[in-house]
Amino acid sequence: MHRGSRTGMASRGENVAFGEYGLQSLERCWLDTKQIEAARVAVTRYMKRRGKVWIRVFPDKSFTKKPLETRMGKGKGPLESWVAVIRPANVLIEVDGVTEAVARESLRLAATKLPIKTKFISRHKIS
Amino acid sequence: MKSVSLNAFPRTLARRSGVKKLRTVGRIPAVIYGRQKEPQNLEIDSKDIDNLIHHSVSENLLVDLTISADARPSRLALVQEVQHHALSGKMLHVDFHEVAADEMVSIMVAVETAGEASGVKNGGGVLEHVLHKIKVRALPKDLPEVLTLDVTHLEIGQAIHIGDIKPPAGVEIIGDKHISVVAVAAPLSEAAEAAAAAEAGATGEVEMIKEKKEDGAAAPAGKAAPAAKAADKGGEKKAEKKK
Repeated sequence: MHRGSRTGMASRGENVAFGEYGLQSLERCWLDTKQIEAARVAVTRYMKRRGKVWIRVFPDKSFTKKPLETRMGKGKGPLESWVAVIRPANVLIEVDGVTEAVARESLRLAATKLPIKTKFISRHKIS
Repeated sequence: MKSVSLNAFPRTLARRSGVKKLRTVGRIPAVIYGRQKEPQNLEIDSKDIDNLIHHSVSENLLVDLTISADARPSRLALVQEVQHHALSGKMLHVDFHEVAADEMVSIMVAVETAGEASGVKNGGGVLEHVLHKIKVRALPKDLPEVLTLDVTHLEIGQAIHIGDIKPPAGVEIIGDKHISVVAVAAPLSEAAEAAAAAEAGATGEVEMIKEKKEDGAAAPAGKAAPAAKAADKGGEKKAEKKK
């Protein structure tokens, strides 16, 4: 699979669609499976089985990498990981059924697991 | 819904470059359409529309538009859509839908909940918003800005359906009466949580990748040897040719 382009802003998936609060990306990156899973675990642990969580991104793009200390050539490298292409304004995680304070803290903890800057948004107002 | 007055001006600047210039001077591009009339491009002061929207409960507004230097200077319109910048939240464009005061219109109205559900407070359940907006039909003056639902009586497993909502006077709610709007779901049990965690673990293919990676690392080392042999053979052949 080609590297693809990740220029521009997100033109879809930029609004809170399911829950009340969300975590919106401010930068672009490739978010891999481990980072998404770490963020999800951080949110669910803080929320302690209250409320609902939606992961709005899915790692559907594969990328490959040549092993270390390998000479060039000899075909394409093995599969390294799966990633989701993130552009500014993509909503990454949404939560509902909890107070704003709990949502803010849980999404702050999730944001620490991500390689990009993010911001907390709500369905009704942008903060 | 009470109508609020708003001044608008006919707009000659169109396309991306035109509307960008407008925004730099504190105006917002807008358009008005409806009632079998030709759509007309407008511009409005960003401060005026910001004030209106920030002081209202929702973006559903009934506006008395006063358009300067126009054949029909006064028009009644609903704010059909407000486009915002995805990151900054700044207003980019406003759509007005012209309506008549004596004609029924249908719009989507936001649903809000009031109070804490009994099932959430005592049973630890989760309040789920199934529908965030409901379609209603009414005269423009009767249109509600939001529909507020009292959820204090809801126990776990109970829901409020479209048919249960008592609309304000003169308002008709459109939609299947059996569709639930708000529901209280049972809390996630430990077993269910463990199952969810296991499911999440199953999706992580990281371990498989690691195995493949190790294989991949081993394979080139194994392949390196035949490659070296081939290179040696090539060198020998060249040497023979020279002889």
